[in-house]
Amino acid sequence: LQDIRNTVGNIPMEWYQDFPHVGYNLDGKKIYKPIRNKDELDMFLEKMENPDYWRTVQDKMTGADIKLTDEQVDLVHRLQRGQFGDVRFDPYEPAVDFFTHEVMIHPVTNRPADKRSFIPSLTEKEKVSKLVHAIKMGWIKPRKPKDDAPTYYDLWAHEDPNSILGRHKMHVPAPKMKLPGHEESYNPPPDPEPGLSSRSRSLAWGAQGTSTGAEVGVGGDGRGTTTAAVDGRGTAWSCLTACFSQVNVDPEDLIPKLPKPRDLQPFPTTQALVYRGHTSLVRCLSISPSGQWLVSGSDDCTVRFWEVCTARCMKTLPVGGVVKSVAWNPNPTVCLVAVCVEQSVLLVNPCLGDKLLYGATDQLLESYVAPEEERVQPVQWATATVEEHGKGVRLVVQHGKAVKQVTWHGKGDYFASVVADNSNMQVLIHQTSKRWSQNPFRKSKGLVQCVLFHPVRPYFFVATQRYVRVYNLLKQELTKKLMTNCKWVSSMAIHPGGDNIICGSYDSKLAWFDLDLSTRPYQLLR
Amino acid sequence: DPRAGAVTVLCARRYAVEDVPFSVPAASETTDLSHLINKLLAAADADHKYVEFDFLINGQFLRMPLVTHMETENISTEEVVEIEYVEKYMAPQPEECIFHDDWISSVQATEEWILTGCYDQTARIWSLEGKSIMTIAGHTEVVKDVAWVKQDSLSCLLLSASMDQTILLWEWNVEKNKVKALHCCRGHAGSVDSIAVDCTGTKFCSGSWDKMLKIWSAVPTDEEDEMEEAANRPRKKQKTEQLGLTRTPLATLSGHTEAVSSVLWSDAEEICSASWDHTIKLWDAETGDLKSTLTGNKVFNSVSYSPLCRRLASGSTDRHIRLWDPRSKDGSLVLLSLTSHTGWVTSVKWSPTHEHQLISGSLDNIVKLWDTRSCKAPLYDLAAHEDKVLCVDWTEAGLLLSGGADNKLYCYRYPATASDVGA
Repeated sequence: LQDIRNTVGNIPMEWYQDFPHVGYNLDGKKIYKPIRNKDELDMFLEKMENPDYWRTVQDKMTGADIKLTDEQVDLVHRLQRGQFGDVRFDPYEPAVDFFTHEVMIHPVTNRPADKRSFIPSLTEKEKVSKLVHAIKMGWIKPRKPKDDAPTYYDLWAHEDPNSILGRHKMHVPAPKMKLPGHEESYNPPPDPEPGLSSRSRSLAWGAQGTSTGAEVGVGGDGRGTTTAAVDGRGTAWSCLTACFSQVNVDPEDLIPKLPKPRDLQPFPTTQALVYRGHTSLVRCLSISPSGQWLVSGSDDCTVRFWEVCTARCMKTLPVGGVVKSVAWNPNPTVCLVAVCVEQSVLLVNPCLGDKLLYGATDQLLESYVAPEEERVQPVQWATATVEEHGKGVRLVVQHGKAVKQVTWHGKGDYFASVVADNSNMQVLIHQTSKRWSQNPFRKSKGLVQCVLFHPVRPYFFVATQRYVRVYNLLKQELTKKLMTNCKWVSSMAIHPGGDNIICGSYDSKLAWFDLDLSTRPYQLLR
Repeated sequence: DPRAGAVTVLCARRYAVEDVPFSVPAASETTDLSHLINKLLAAADADHKYVEFDFLINGQFLRMPLVTHMETENISTEEVVEIEYVEKYMAPQPEECIFHDDWISSVQATEEWILTGCYDQTARIWSLEGKSIMTIAGHTEVVKDVAWVKQDSLSCLLLSASMDQTILLWEWNVEKNKVKALHCCRGHAGSVDSIAVDCTGTKFCSGSWDKMLKIWSAVPTDEEDEMEEAANRPRKKQKTEQLGLTRTPLATLSGHTEAVSSVLWSDAEEICSASWDHTIKLWDAETGDLKSTLTGNKVFNSVSYSPLCRRLASGSTDRHIRLWDPRSKDGSLVLLSLTSHTGWVTSVKWSPTHEHQLISGSLDNIVKLWDTRSCKAPLYDLAAHEDKVLCVDWTEAGLLLSGGADNKLYCYRYPATASDVGA
């Protein structure tokens, strides 16, 4: 059997009646009808003699005669009888009830309502409790209540009539307010009897009444009033009426109020104690942080330690050179005094006060471990000789030149020394715990008179002859330059609070700076 | 205008005159009034000898002409004024002068002995005649305060507090004249400036530069108290040998923000402490709680309490001596301010017998004897010292002592007159 599949589709085959072919096959070649002209006679003979005539069908598609198979004949007969086409189908299978005919006790569709219809919902309870927990933990924040106060829009806040854009924007001119009338200018003196005045005042207000577009005058003292007005639409416009300020300034107010001397106490008023013992000029003093001891250095080449309350000289330390400056370490747990003797700075443990403290200081100094590599330092650090140790000296810092001043940092580890020459090595900062010194300045800005550390913040004050420069130690840069109006600054001191600095100069002027205020002196006292 | 004022005079029974108003010239002074009284007494009693009197108006001594006094006190000259007269207090008579080797930081005397603490690191015991009985050495630093604990005829207990942060409890055998250190009270972190023994003699408290007060037991025992060993202790122990058994404090009272300069027991269980932080604090010794605080303007150097008049006297660095009532509820109330010193007042002491008298020593080298009824000026100035006066004391027997930076201890005899206020 050839596979002749006609590709013409579902068309009436009568169209190919007159043609020799009946369509085309898959390759596009015509499918010719079988060459056999069947006339009536042939057809009659076939009908009579062909036993399979009753089961022969002409295939319209291919034009060929097809003999039906037995199954096909069965199928045709079944269909003709009106039975189901498929042989395997059994129309008499037993029925399965979806809904049974028996009466059960539980209804299927009409069952009564569950208990959960009547009690509060459990799922909702769970959800609510999750929300509550979230609120308690702060994961969900409650909504802020909306503020219903009316917001005012000040249209004329940035009014600039000269700007070009000002003309372009939708320009609503400010409404002209009624000039203050009698009720605003009424400014009675305060009544001696408060009860009476409040009554009269309430009467006055009551008499005014309110109306749409009413003016509510808010306080006035003659200089200018703020009037708020409500216009027809209910938007409140607020503006300042012209400030009619009279020049009635009391000249007494212009003089700044200086504090009474009593408020500035303690300052010295009387001499209480005289500490006798030095044989020459006493150049410098320093007091211990506890206030119990005083150290002084003098031109007689000694350093003396005194008990403050009785003026008793507790110890005398001969140092073999003129002492220019002494400074007691402000850290109360460290017992050290820095002494400037000619070309070196000595760190002395005075061994006064709590034994545990000065013992601990000694231990701290002895526990120093030198770093492995040699550091280049501008000065030399050396431990004291045995003889010096017996006197109390612990460390000697040898500078090349005469040292003018030494001062400690508030924490007690760093100290700065000033050398008396005009180079960039004038100021040196040393660290006791690491025995390391550094020169913080590359260029010299003038002859340095004295230096100071800020007691609390990381600032370093350097006073040269005319200016005081404030450096920030953390940022390592100049913060401020204070202009003292003095020709030659001699000394500088800072208030323990850290906000005020006083500079004294050789031309008998005292400049008081408020650091927060400005770089010019707050006051110049002569 | 020198009008005469009418006065009535009252007096003690010994020198009684008639209770009749007198007219006296307004400008009369103490000497004139004294003459008047003496004349009245001579008229009454034939062999009356001239006695100096001192006059009090409304509890204030008369130190200026009558009319000026009445003006300043706003007493009207129209009414009859009552004037009390008392026998004038005689000046204290200097008795002894004891020389020391160094500054005298503290002195406390009893009936028979004088105990002094000295800046040469020793405490010394002297007889009342000025003879040195005993030298107590043991401290490694200056001795700042001394106190007797108890005495009987055989042995005495005494304390010495020093700048080496310890207090030593000594037993002194009077007969054999030997002294032994019983206990070394350790615990302070700064110089111990002041100690005070309570009235029973079983406890004492100390105030120091480390801003704390500590209460210790004054009863000698045989046990040593356990103390926390600091890391440096072994090193220190080798240097100085331990004197006596270590004792730790029973309690520590903290609250002062500066050094404690002076402590005393004002009651059986009450301690009063004066400090450099401008306050005087009253503590309950049993619980250790702060009872009340009296605040002043300046550093307090010394404080003294008198059970007779129940007042505290304080000496400050502003040269005033102030009297306080420790029981006052409201913060601070200065009852009286005595001003005359020209230097810091370093020490004050009430009289143990007289309720109105006290002495004070100051850095202007003068010891002043005050009567609180005459607050404008002291009764007497004892200017014997050539250098600062560091400590004063007053015994029951009427002995005034003062020690100073000129290494001298002066003793004065001041007869203990009973307080004689008449009807």
